[in-house]
Amino acid sequence: MKEVMAIVRMNKMNQTKRALSDAGISSMTAKDVLGRGKGLVDTTLLEGAEKGYEEAIAQLGQSQRLIPKRLLMVVVPEKLVQKTVRTIISVNRMGKSGDGKIFVMPASDAVSIRTAEGGDTVLDGIT
Amino acid sequence: MLMIRSIVRPEKVDNVLAALMEAGFPAVTKVSVVGRGKQRGIKIGEITYDEIPKELLITVVKSQDRDFVIKTVMQAARTGDKGAFGDGKIFVTPVEEMYTISSGIKETPEGEAVEVKI
Repeated sequence: MKEVMAIVRMNKMNQTKRALSDAGISSMTAKDVLGRGKGLVDTTLLEGAEKGYEEAIAQLGQSQRLIPKRLLMVVVPEKLVQKTVRTIISVNRMGKSGDGKIFVMPASDAVSIRTAEGGDTVLDGIT
Repeated sequence: MLMIRSIVRPEKVDNVLAALMEAGFPAVTKVSVVGRGKQRGIKIGEITYDEIPKELLITVVKSQDRDFVIKTVMQAARTGDKGAFGDGKIFVTPVEEMYTISSGIKETPEGEAVEVKI
């Protein structure tokens, strides 16, 4: 089983949730986070500054503010990892920097608190 | 590839972020959390506070940068020279795959980078 941790845009959350549940991955945890990335330059900002918009110019000097994002955490069985990743990418991909990252990490066990069951049976996609 | 999760004091976050930026690791995610440590919280008079606010900083780095990043965070998050209780902890976990959503590129610890077709 693997833990998939994705950092996505806030306004894509509803679509992501819907797409994941359509793909049969219904359980997940999400959290509001702040973050910054590699710090690629925003081209719209540069264009705006070239055209002389004051707001754009004011933002130019500031280096790397923290940007609000959503952190998604899903634990899925091995065979659903690719599906989860693909679903998240297909919904969130706009082709611009700031779209987010997905990390896949090993998870050693999952235990349902209600039934005290362990292993893959407590996860999505296993009936 | 490793995920480095550091729990630091809220007032030290700016310090750590600046240090990481300077060290060449700009990508960080910050989460507000509450928690307690080995000291079982803080006892002031009769009242014990065991949900102490902290900030969790998540950063994913290449395996060879591990010691450098840990050192950077540790130096920046420490209170004074010797440090104090409550300065936080750093956890390191392996990351098997990393995807950049905007380009669909998948990276693995072995250094391969392939584009995922959707």
